[in-house]
Amino acid sequence: MIVGGLDIGSATGKAVVIKDGNVVGASVLCSTARPVETADLVMNEAIRQAGLSSIDHLDKVVCTGYGRLSIPFAEENLSEISCHARGAHWLVPSIRTVVDIGGQDCKVISVSEKGTVLDFKMNDRCAAGTGRFFEAMARALCCGLDGISSLDNQGDEPCTISNQCSVFAESEVVTLVNEGIDLANIIAGINLSVASRLSSMARRVGIVNEVTLTGGCSKNEGLAQALAKKLGIELRQLPQDPQIAGALGAAIFAGERLEASDDGTS
Amino acid sequence: MDVQAVKTQSLARYKEERDWFALLAEAAKQMPTSEGELQVKLLEILLDSKQTVVDCVENDKPFIGGYFCNAPELFHAMDLPWFMLMETPFLAASAPYLLNDIEGAEEMGMGTDLCTAIRLPIYYIENGLMPVPTALLGLLYPCDGAPMLHQVIEHNKVWKDVPIYACDPPYTSDERAVQYFAEELSRMVEFLEKHTGKTLDVDRLKQVCEESNRTYSLWQDYNELRRSVPSPHGWAIGGAQAFAISQCFVAGDPRCSAWFEQLCKCAEERVAAGKGASDQEGWKEKIRLFWFDIMPYGWIFEYMPWLESEWGATIVMDMFGNFPYTLIDTSSRETMLHDLAKRNLLDAPMIRQARGTAENFSNDIRRIVTDYKIDCVIWPGHMGHKDGSATIGIMRDTCRELGVPFLHIGLDLFDKRYTSIDEVKDKTSDFFRGMGLA
Amino acid sequence: METRIDSEAFDRFREVTSSIGNSEIEAWKQAGGKVVGYFCSTVPEELFTAAGLYPFRMRGTGSTSTELSDGCFSNINCSYPRHTMNQALLGEYDFLDGLVCINSCDHVRRIYDNWTVRLDTPFVKVMSLPRKIGPPQIDWYYEEINLLRSDIQEHFGVEITDEDLWKAIKLHNEVRALQKKVYEYRKLDAPPISGAEALPVMVAGTAMPKERYKILLQQFLGDLEKLEGSSDYRVRLMIVGGELDDPEFMQVIEEQGGLVVTDSTCFGTRLMWRPIDESVADPVRALASYYIYDRPSCPRMYGDQSRRIDYTKELAKEFRVDGIIGERLIFCDQWLVEHYMTNADLKEDGIPFLQLDREYILSGKGQLRTRVQAFIETIEGMRS
Repeated sequence: MIVGGLDIGSATGKAVVIKDGNVVGASVLCSTARPVETADLVMNEAIRQAGLSSIDHLDKVVCTGYGRLSIPFAEENLSEISCHARGAHWLVPSIRTVVDIGGQDCKVISVSEKGTVLDFKMNDRCAAGTGRFFEAMARALCCGLDGISSLDNQGDEPCTISNQCSVFAESEVVTLVNEGIDLANIIAGINLSVASRLSSMARRVGIVNEVTLTGGCSKNEGLAQALAKKLGIELRQLPQDPQIAGALGAAIFAGERLEASDDGTS
Repeated sequence: MDVQAVKTQSLARYKEERDWFALLAEAAKQMPTSEGELQVKLLEILLDSKQTVVDCVENDKPFIGGYFCNAPELFHAMDLPWFMLMETPFLAASAPYLLNDIEGAEEMGMGTDLCTAIRLPIYYIENGLMPVPTALLGLLYPCDGAPMLHQVIEHNKVWKDVPIYACDPPYTSDERAVQYFAEELSRMVEFLEKHTGKTLDVDRLKQVCEESNRTYSLWQDYNELRRSVPSPHGWAIGGAQAFAISQCFVAGDPRCSAWFEQLCKCAEERVAAGKGASDQEGWKEKIRLFWFDIMPYGWIFEYMPWLESEWGATIVMDMFGNFPYTLIDTSSRETMLHDLAKRNLLDAPMIRQARGTAENFSNDIRRIVTDYKIDCVIWPGHMGHKDGSATIGIMRDTCRELGVPFLHIGLDLFDKRYTSIDEVKDKTSDFFRGMGLA
Repeated sequence: METRIDSEAFDRFREVTSSIGNSEIEAWKQAGGKVVGYFCSTVPEELFTAAGLYPFRMRGTGSTSTELSDGCFSNINCSYPRHTMNQALLGEYDFLDGLVCINSCDHVRRIYDNWTVRLDTPFVKVMSLPRKIGPPQIDWYYEEINLLRSDIQEHFGVEITDEDLWKAIKLHNEVRALQKKVYEYRKLDAPPISGAEALPVMVAGTAMPKERYKILLQQFLGDLEKLEGSSDYRVRLMIVGGELDDPEFMQVIEEQGGLVVTDSTCFGTRLMWRPIDESVADPVRALASYYIYDRPSCPRMYGDQSRRIDYTKELAKEFRVDGIIGERLIFCDQWLVEHYMTNADLKEDGIPFLQLDREYILSGKGQLRTRVQAFIETIEGMRS
């Protein structure tokens, strides 16, 4: 059985191919303006890695993410929340809380022993605490996303970034830069402000160990460090790229659905 | 959390707050001026009130929790110690734990679109950080937050058994409304008698009301003095404190009148000498400001002194320093209840503006701008004052008609993270410059 | 919106609710009739019917901007009054001969103040609605209704007799009973009507004269009878919240597979679940008791949370609901705290609850879809 999972997000598209319970292909690409095109590109790359020649070789594809409704070759769509929970739990079955920070929203998900969703909270409609926010900050600091995430750049005295709105926070950061504040402390302040927001959301769901980060921003080590500190726990690292957790979850669902329907017909 | 655990934990917190005030009182003692002396006296009265509540909790004596502006003369006359549900944001907003508490409220799902003065007490109740009183008095205005706070209290498992009575001020302001509110107050007295074992003695009430009349008449005299140019006092004394002392701690108590007497004396001396609010600190009054709200308690020390030193802007009048004077007719229980109802419904700050239709937003601006020779009006736009924020057009029109500039900022009076102090300062500076006030 | 319902009455309901002004109003005014607008479901609309006036519940339907009303409100005010006021400033409410406001909440109550300053509707009143629900409050509201009654009589030159009032109360109660019948269909395993379809049926009741609405509603029930139901859904949902008049919001929820089968909202069951008591002697007394105590309340009424949660649970059981969505307009203090308590109470009973903040004019559909879909998946996950 070969199944695929797609996660078409606002910033990136992710695809995973699973063959007989093993991940045989996984890819991440920047989103194009058209979700269908992103899906095609990213899935073809995963398929190539899996040594397949066509999407038709997949027995079933499940899609998630913002673009999930418009992908013709995905038979089913599921919310990112279920998929991230499922994907992270599949990788580390002891995971009970998933913090997913994507391009335009962030979520805290409470996961059951079986990997199903017990409860979740999602950010408001603004970009606060998301990839977009970090992009805006990186722009204001002219340092690139790597600059914000590198552990070498996290100052010991984080500045207070009071604005959660990325537009206002950007000008706040510009002011700090002009005041000659140490870049590392500004960066630490940015990560701390997002970590505070995530920690607040996490507490609304209830933090149960083990906790992991998924989504593109999970690669921001500075943020991960600040969040672990805020929550007062160690975050569990996933053995695979945490950015593909959603696509992975979608692929696992595809496999399960296929099995269930096979059972039903035979 | 069980009742006992809440009792222990909330008492510890209450003591911590008391000690915070003790610290402030010590600091105030270092101020050599007579205004400093007044601050100390106020803090001592406040400390005394806190200590009394501590004593009640520790020794199982009756005490009550209450809101503001529900005729404190009544429970003062019944010799009932009380604390205010919003004491922490209103009085201890500079306490070191405040920002953590706000974060705690946010974790409960109470974000920035719920008034901080409401979400904080909700957080305290739900987390066992507020002393559980013998009985609780509420008030269902000036905003939507008030009835919600009271309903959370009724819903809370530990507080469920605390008897609660909430006065329901009507939306109208005529004699019929006053009558209805007087009946609400009368039912409040019945409730207190039933649940605290205390009774309301008419002679004692008369005594308290007479003293209260004296206080308010002194307050009236004091506010006359603030009309002087330059104004003898600014933000630091005589506004919010006047309200706190007369309505929150010792309503109808000789200590209260004594405090106002001294306040008047201070102001008189300054007026006679032609001195402005802080002449000794070397700045001159250039802008006479009407701050139309309560003070930004969460960051008052970071903004108000700056207004004076940077711009020579004196807060000549603020919402809580302005309390029109209604004499209480002490001839009978009925007349006293009637006039207390009238005072607390029609005069009491914030209730006066926000409880009913919006005319007092414009009436007050008109009266105060004229009487106090005001140069500009600032409506801070606190994030919880939603009815007021739906009145900005009306306020702006009134100011235009009077020819004074009007500024709406948009901030949280308790949480400086909502709008940063720099941003508030920038907006203020731009306003002063843009309007040619500087 | 696509619909399977083939009914002229239904088309009529959809037409009158898709914009503010409608052909019913035109016809009424041409015949010399007067129209009175009112805010909030606690205003006793029976009084208008009894006075021979056309009662119209105020909405901001179709608004695309708050450009004109932004001068009255600020950015911490609810989008419902802002859009509604904007529509009024655009002239959409020029057909009104009167307006009755009420102190329902901090945002909506200020419409009165702004309206009287900026618009010249001849008859604008504000009612004082108590926040408590006891006998003194019923007495107070009794007087309020009588005061409004005399104001209407004087201004519109009509007489409102007790007999007129009883007639109106009976008519409105009949309408309530018919609306409840529509909801009965929603209890079925395969309801013939969705939540997005039921909403305009309810909203229409506040946008046309009651007599005319009653006839159309009877026709509609006849059409519904003939319609085959649909069990093409994954879970049965209930909506709890305030001012919700937008079928598109319901539609987004239902497109995810969550059929909305009932609600506690003020365009929904709270309007009609209980009738006005017709057995008392004084019709104004009957109205006062109904609006203060008898009808299901909203969180602005203090001391009634336990009855409200009981009501929610009761309906959830009756309509065999799998999960409850608490909707709230951003900046509403009342529903924010109410949902906080509802969440805690439902958790104790193991009923899934999702809180959805929204703007009056639907925006952010993508996030809404994700939230609802994840909620449905969570409910399904609990079943397995």
